[in-house]
Amino acid sequence: MNIKPVVSALLRNRMGAVLVALEIAIALAVLVNAAFIVGQRIAMIDEPTGLDYHDMFAVTMAGFTKDFSLPSSVASDMAYLRSMPGVVSASPVGSIPLSGDGGNGVLYAQTGQHGNSAVYTTLQTDEQGMSTLGATLIAGRNFRPTEILPWSHAIDQAVPEIIVTQSLARALFPGRQALGQVVYDVRNRPMTIIGITRDFKGQVGAGTPPYNVALMPQLAGAFGGYYCLVRTEPGRAEAIMRRAERELAVRNTTRVIFYAHTLDYFKGQLDSENRNMAIFLVAVTALILAITCLGIFGLTTFNVSTRTKQIGTMRAVGARKRDVVSHFLLENAIIVALGVLVGCTLTLGVGYWLSRAYGMPRLDLYFLAAGVFILAAIGQLAAWQPARRAASVPPSVATRTV
Amino acid sequence: MLKMQDISKVYRTDLIETHALRNFSLEVKSGQFVAVSGPSGSGKTTFLNVAGLLETFDTGVYELGGEDVSRLSDDARSRMRNEKIGFIFQSFNLIPDLDIYDNVDVPLRYRRMKAAERHSRITKALELVGLASRMKHMPSQLSGGQQQRVAIARAIAGDPALIFADEPTGNLDSLMARQVMDLLEQINEMGTTIVLVTHDPELARRAQRNIHIVDGLVIDSPPPYERRAGTDAAGSLAG
Amino acid sequence: MLGYYLWLAAKSFRRNPGLTALMVGAIALGISTCIVTLTVYHAMSGNPIWWKNNILYAVTMDGWDPSPSDPYDPAHPQLAPPQLTYRDAQYLYQSTIPRRKVLITQLLGVLSGAPGETAPVHVMTHAVTRDFFSMFDVPFEYGGGWSASADSGPEPVIVLSKEQNDKLFGGADSVGQTILWNDHRFRIVGVLKNWRPLPRFYDMTTRRWGEPDDAYVPFQWGPALQILPGGNSSCWGDPVTTYQDYLGSECVWIEMWAELPTAQARERMQAYMDSYWAVQRKAGRFARPLNNHLTDVSDWLKVNGVVSSDSRILLRLAFAFLIVCLINTVGILLAKFLRAAPTTGLRRALGASRRQIFLQHLAEVATLSFVGAALGLALGAAGLVGVHAMYTYGGAYGVLARFDPIGILWALALAAVSTLAAGLYPAWAIGRLPPSLYLKSR
Repeated sequence: MNIKPVVSALLRNRMGAVLVALEIAIALAVLVNAAFIVGQRIAMIDEPTGLDYHDMFAVTMAGFTKDFSLPSSVASDMAYLRSMPGVVSASPVGSIPLSGDGGNGVLYAQTGQHGNSAVYTTLQTDEQGMSTLGATLIAGRNFRPTEILPWSHAIDQAVPEIIVTQSLARALFPGRQALGQVVYDVRNRPMTIIGITRDFKGQVGAGTPPYNVALMPQLAGAFGGYYCLVRTEPGRAEAIMRRAERELAVRNTTRVIFYAHTLDYFKGQLDSENRNMAIFLVAVTALILAITCLGIFGLTTFNVSTRTKQIGTMRAVGARKRDVVSHFLLENAIIVALGVLVGCTLTLGVGYWLSRAYGMPRLDLYFLAAGVFILAAIGQLAAWQPARRAASVPPSVATRTV
Repeated sequence: MLKMQDISKVYRTDLIETHALRNFSLEVKSGQFVAVSGPSGSGKTTFLNVAGLLETFDTGVYELGGEDVSRLSDDARSRMRNEKIGFIFQSFNLIPDLDIYDNVDVPLRYRRMKAAERHSRITKALELVGLASRMKHMPSQLSGGQQQRVAIARAIAGDPALIFADEPTGNLDSLMARQVMDLLEQINEMGTTIVLVTHDPELARRAQRNIHIVDGLVIDSPPPYERRAGTDAAGSLAG
Repeated sequence: MLGYYLWLAAKSFRRNPGLTALMVGAIALGISTCIVTLTVYHAMSGNPIWWKNNILYAVTMDGWDPSPSDPYDPAHPQLAPPQLTYRDAQYLYQSTIPRRKVLITQLLGVLSGAPGETAPVHVMTHAVTRDFFSMFDVPFEYGGGWSASADSGPEPVIVLSKEQNDKLFGGADSVGQTILWNDHRFRIVGVLKNWRPLPRFYDMTTRRWGEPDDAYVPFQWGPALQILPGGNSSCWGDPVTTYQDYLGSECVWIEMWAELPTAQARERMQAYMDSYWAVQRKAGRFARPLNNHLTDVSDWLKVNGVVSSDSRILLRLAFAFLIVCLINTVGILLAKFLRAAPTTGLRRALGASRRQIFLQHLAEVATLSFVGAALGLALGAAGLVGVHAMYTYGGAYGVLARFDPIGILWALALAAVSTLAAGLYPAWAIGRLPPSLYLKSR
């Protein structure tokens, strides 16, 4: 295969070749980096929550009338919810897992704000909280009903015992047994760890580690409102929630229901930013690849039709149809190779900038290799049909002058 | 009309220097019909390009219509080409996706003429070449000879002082060639200077003067003579 | 002449309909993608009260926990909390330096007792002082805000949003009627027009892109009814048991804004804050270093991290896409123009100047860009509708997908400039070819 006429043909239309190569380079940089980011976002969405959130829902309500009584409201609501067919367990909670709302704080392994510390989210609940959450105890025990502090006017009540997740325990007592240890809040109030559970996600607020959760034995409701968390039999969460919403509103008119959502809804909300980013990235990347592919196709077709005299001459001096096809495919391959080469540098540069500017992890080179392969394949495939059409130019074209 | 003195034009590449025109001198008076002939590679094309202001030259003086062209900007040269010169090429060079009317219209557009004036000029030019009835046809619907006549109409529509014809009959059969030459003579009689570039000596003899070029140099340039009335293309002209 | 050039352009397009469609399509796609991302980005980073940017200032003081393990915001430990304590807010509010000033907090509220036996409904209520409405140019449909005496009372007056008024009173003028707010009788003094600043810059602590506020009551109703804030509240220091404790604690839960139109006023306000800080520091508070600020709205938005890095990345991606589309177009135009070089050479021979050739091809480019841009705008609008559908949760993102005039102007300018720039090179290049080059004389 003689490469000289191919190269000279390219050099004659330098600018055109450069432009196509540039397009390919940018397409590669976009494809690889976008795919990488999408991979990360999917991983974030797939991160285990540690909860059977498909089978859980929460109702948020608050009292507003003068004769509203939080303890009796909570008690009657709990009684009703627990009696509903299909409900496995129900508890009042101080924050809804995966909802993004709730309290947080700092715990210290030693008094006086010393020692290891960890940011955590609070989850006030009663003795049925563990079963409602579906949390698995791996050490210690659950709260006893007598340990649950009744509701009080006190805004920020201290609790003597807490149950923590594994992550929180490790953060406070790395390499040691956390069970039975005493931890302190910012006000130096002591709390004993009586139980450790497998990790699950708490309310997931901004800036707080999602798996650092502390269960606290108290009825929440200091702001006049409260949440009920309900766990149902598989597949029935939506239906039971709707029924519960209707019934609860009717049963007690001293309070109003703010909203009722399944935990599926909250998970979706939590994931929405990542999901939308992934959708955008996939859409734009697909468009770029399509435009590049169509561009190569269009340009090659056009070039072929411009150079019919040259093709005819090639055929007249003895080139077979196959040789004509190879010539154009080789021309295209050189441009694609050039584009991919420049594109690799561009891709790595963009990947580096993304990791520096936005704290993303460094680009995985496996993605780069896959991207190169895909783009080279697309680039060549785009020129395939026009190259085949070039082969059908008859040799007689060589002699025609008009 | 056209006065060239010691014109030289050199084409340079990395390896070769080609002296296409050397010390080329020529004078064509207004109203003359002049042939420039010579074998292939003699520099006829270069002469045409330089004379027609399509290319610049390296040394020498060139006056066209009394004006020294070497000092002209590209815009001024374009205007000169547009107003003073008409071109007729071997390969007709009609624009294929414009109809006959619009093809003749092209040079007039660049002169910013009003539509009415353009229309009258185009109609007159096409009538002169006998193709007024085919105004709306496309070039592909015309024979070779007809296409060349359209090109002639285009060349004269703007009333140029000088017409360059480059092998105008090269792609035509003898009947069409005669029609074209008749037309050129007719145009010349109306007062337009014509410079005909050709390698065909038969054709060259129909002109009043015949200038031979070989290797970029004028070999001979016989003095002009009067045309005899009644000659036709088939016969050869004396001298 | 322009008509002639446009007519020639139309002929050129018809000669290669496939390529023309590809070019127009590519330009349209590139521009529409940029429009979508630009609109979203602009709406997110836009200042909803930009005409008062040099006048309104968020007032913050840093009295947070001096312990290094307990910063207010672990990601930005040097930042002061965005809210004030009750004590500090009360003191600063007394200053006469600002032309106007406002204290803001969020309370949970339930409206009931509306005519027609509608069920009680939860409303997002902001408890504000009276200058809120004039400071933030809040538009009223009926009635207005309340007086200074209503603030100090506090008087049971309430302002409703347009949405709530529509729901409860069918959109009629409800000024003067009473309604129960948290089971207390309140008198409606005003109903707003549609007002939804995005983001909700005056209270960025919760749901800044969320639903609009439903109701406004005088600020002192929280303390009067001993209602804890329903929005963000952060505490450190001594434990809080009673509501009185809460008011006297280091818990921050109040936003304060001041109208300070001159640099002098700002300096005086800063001095006022700093001298108060010095006095309190001697008394044992404000252990952290001096960190009192007056922040204008656009800086406030930046400090609160309004524009996510995702939208920044998408913006750059959209531009990369546009560039690919433009490169595509340049390549095709170049090939097209070069192929027509013999015809161009002929025109030059017949007397067209370089400028006329350039203008002829520029007309072709301009037509392409115009059609591409028009199509791009239409696609962009469709795209924004699609984006609207994608953001099912964040109520606000859906609203963001509205076409604002500034976004449209940007998009048009982008379309015009980018396509013309792309086509300039081929149009210029073709004009520079010497006339003799492509004329076949032999």
